[in-house]
Amino acid sequence: MARLLLLLWSLGPMLWQLVSSLRTSDALSGLASGGWTLEHYRQLLQGDPPFLTYLLNSAVVGVCSTALTLALAVPCAYALTRIGRRQARSLTLLVAAAAAFPAVLLFLALLELARDWHLANQLLALSLPYAGLCLPLAILLLQAAFADIPIELEEAALIEGMGLWQRLRWVLLPLLAPAMASSALLVFLFSWNEYPIALTWLSRTELLTLAPAMARIAGSSVYTIPYGAFAAATVLGSAPLIALMLLFQRQIISGLTQGAIKG
Amino acid sequence: MRWRLWLLMAPALALLLAVFAVPLLHYLWLSTQAQSVLTGLLPEPIGAQQWLRLWNDSRFWQDTWQTLRFSAASVSLEMLLGLAIALLLDQPLRGRGVLRTISLLPWALPTTVMALGWRWIFNDPYGPINRLVAGLGLPAIPFLSNPAITWMAAVGADTWKTTPFVALLLLAGLQAIPADLYEAAALEGATPWQSLRRITLPLLTPYLLIALLFRLAQALGVFDLIQVLTGGGPAGSTESLALYAYLNAMRFLDFGYSATLLLGSFAILLVLCGAAALLWRGNSRLQGALR
Amino acid sequence: MIPPRALRRWVLLLVALLGSLSLGLWGLARERLEPVSVLMPAPFADATADLVNAFNRSHPRIALIVTRGPLETEAVSDLAISSLLLGESPYDLLLMDVSWTPKYAAAGWLEPLDRWLGPKALDDLAPGAELGNAFGGQLWRFPLLADMGLLFWRTDLMEAPPRTPAELVAISRRLQRQGQVPWGYVWQGKQYEGLSCVVLELLRGFGGHWLVNNDPVLNSPAAVAATSWLQELVRQGITPAAVANMGEPEALQLFQAGDAAFMRNWPYAWAELNKPDSPLRGKVAFTTMVSEPGEPHAATQGSWGFSLLAGSKHKAAAVEVLRFLTSAEAQKQLNLRWGYTPTRLSVFEDPELLAANPALADLQLALAAAVLRPLSPVYAQLSDLLYRNVNTAITGERSAPMAMQQLQLNSERLLRSSGGEG
Repeated sequence: MARLLLLLWSLGPMLWQLVSSLRTSDALSGLASGGWTLEHYRQLLQGDPPFLTYLLNSAVVGVCSTALTLALAVPCAYALTRIGRRQARSLTLLVAAAAAFPAVLLFLALLELARDWHLANQLLALSLPYAGLCLPLAILLLQAAFADIPIELEEAALIEGMGLWQRLRWVLLPLLAPAMASSALLVFLFSWNEYPIALTWLSRTELLTLAPAMARIAGSSVYTIPYGAFAAATVLGSAPLIALMLLFQRQIISGLTQGAIKG
Repeated sequence: MRWRLWLLMAPALALLLAVFAVPLLHYLWLSTQAQSVLTGLLPEPIGAQQWLRLWNDSRFWQDTWQTLRFSAASVSLEMLLGLAIALLLDQPLRGRGVLRTISLLPWALPTTVMALGWRWIFNDPYGPINRLVAGLGLPAIPFLSNPAITWMAAVGADTWKTTPFVALLLLAGLQAIPADLYEAAALEGATPWQSLRRITLPLLTPYLLIALLFRLAQALGVFDLIQVLTGGGPAGSTESLALYAYLNAMRFLDFGYSATLLLGSFAILLVLCGAAALLWRGNSRLQGALR
Repeated sequence: MIPPRALRRWVLLLVALLGSLSLGLWGLARERLEPVSVLMPAPFADATADLVNAFNRSHPRIALIVTRGPLETEAVSDLAISSLLLGESPYDLLLMDVSWTPKYAAAGWLEPLDRWLGPKALDDLAPGAELGNAFGGQLWRFPLLADMGLLFWRTDLMEAPPRTPAELVAISRRLQRQGQVPWGYVWQGKQYEGLSCVVLELLRGFGGHWLVNNDPVLNSPAAVAATSWLQELVRQGITPAAVANMGEPEALQLFQAGDAAFMRNWPYAWAELNKPDSPLRGKVAFTTMVSEPGEPHAATQGSWGFSLLAGSKHKAAAVEVLRFLTSAEAQKQLNLRWGYTPTRLSVFEDPELLAANPALADLQLALAAAVLRPLSPVYAQLSDLLYRNVNTAITGERSAPMAMQQLQLNSERLLRSSGGEG
């Protein structure tokens, strides 16, 4: 019973979107009963720009942010586990505070940064603030993973004459793969969903990522409110994420929980 | 050796400073300037006037109250529901893995996407709930047009989206509790309710506090959901601090005041989360003393 | 170590992402030549598509590109403002709402048009359409099409439209009692710009004003009466309570479904209601807003016009575009094909158009009754105060006199702190 309730609560709103996206506009405003259609999807996919552009933009930003975040977070997390307890603790505290910081409060200053450094309307540049915002969480996760690796392993490698880079590359990174996978997925999810900064950094329609594109679709209807098209957009916009969740649920869940236990 | 470690950290720390510290310092400066459409968008120093304006701005205080009300309601609902779901998922049930994945789905979707979805679900009179209500012969529920109801609709949508996150954190905490503690309690004849109160909740406290702190900070900065779902209406009753700051910057072109508002929100956040963190420290010291 | 199955997943994911990445890069690499870029709200982008093609055919050296913005006025403004704030705006021309002009001009984003269009640019404009293009002694905008608030009524339910607020209430009540329609009158009551337009029409209709000599007079008896009337409509069930969250599309949706006898909306609704598959085709007419006896039937002017951005690198070509799209010929086409209201007198008097579109004469009358929202760089704040406070009355949070008292105080404070530049 409780399980059924949970299922209904989690899936109900999404299923309603799915159903709405397949109904005709008339059926949605209660004019006619019945009537199923794929029209809303056709409309979206052939729109100007086509809806897939937004998904593509989000994917590009997501991948770049993820790569950049990991590239910066791995060395930082490693250093944090080796630098000595006192400094590590105060730094970690600051990082943890940053992890909880609501990103929206930064939008105005980041907008000015974008203008002054000519970073606006560039998808790749958007991964800079995204990486900055995701770093805290990634650092915490990876730091916990580094701490789990016995120090003897690295000492053995040191005796064999491996340099810092070699130790990282051949000894530590392979052991870190699960933690990296989960941080990568969390960073990707964040950039896919981020709204206020994308809203202020991107003003060209063909560069919009999914979240601001959705919000603008809300006002881009011609004449009547296209709830069918809204619904189709929510379905198309969530499908890649749902697929990602189903494929990698274990990594995502372990990432989230690891962060809580160790952080 | 040591300088090499700092070198490894340098790029990450530099980006963190650029994204977090520089903006806050910039706001501090901007809040002493008049930079708006009336100054041709150029900064003019005006001392503490923006802060005075903030202090006297009834809309700032109204939005503060509304943001606090929203955060308190949604965070406490999320904690309760999250705990219930975590306890449910901790049971050895059939299909637990699938259930866990499905219940996490709402958390993974973009807020703007689902806010749009909720707008349609709450539609008056054509949304599903109101059609159901009309079918029963009752008057439509003004989800998005009544100040007393709309903020609860927003809380509902937020709870739907973020409860899974809380549930998952708490589930991790539950699974870290050794099973023999429960067995010992059962041997002593404790009821399930007693073992929940005596064992589960105390050992779960750190997790509850992490979830609380994180969710509180995020809820105090609520923006996406409100902007797409209600636009701050009706009658300004769902406007959050972040939305007010956004309007000041992007619609009124008043950057000095927008920065002041953002800093004001940050101060409120700091006070509340600081209080929660102190609570946590007091609590762990208490536990240490008991041990 | 990653098990092989998981590895395969990751490889698949990587391949998919790389594929999409290269597709995206290919799209970016396509070249565009000599561009003039225009941002327009979606409906106008659709309506001008043929004209844009015609322009590109007849001007081989200019590539006119139209960006479809959102429909909601405020959403378009947000998009335009964010592109301007970011610098290097991708647009050369903006299709602007009448209420934005002073703000954009004060922010230094616009190029004065006097130099480009000459001193006689406005001579051909119909009465009402010439308003709101100049500010501070310079011309900032040239109107493409006129827009004004209209009262739509059902010809199958009544003989003649109401002319006073009391008549509107009486007819609505009768029709509701007879079970002909569930609701009487729908309008825009959400806290957004549309509500300010609704209120401005009623302010005039009850004998009041928004500003007099730059001072707000929003707690006048007339202003309170106007707001009370709106509040009463909801309280008496003539207007659904959902109006507090209704914009133009929501009102149109309800009216078009046959659920209301009256609707306040813009001329675009006329074309929409008379589409071949519309259930109300041939059953609707429009007039100006109701007013108390002796007061004017006001129509809020909401025209759209082109402004040239100061940062444009193709100003001469952009002015060429502006001239073409606002020409009499273009306005005629927009009216014939889409029903949009022209701004040029010569188009209103075109016999061919008058024959094809008998409503044109009525539209010209409504345009002559047009009233302008305050021209001020802080208009966005003024309007924000107005619609928030009136919205508190519509939702029943506050009584109308209290809401208007609060509005008056806040407006006074705003105008005082902005140095009387209202």
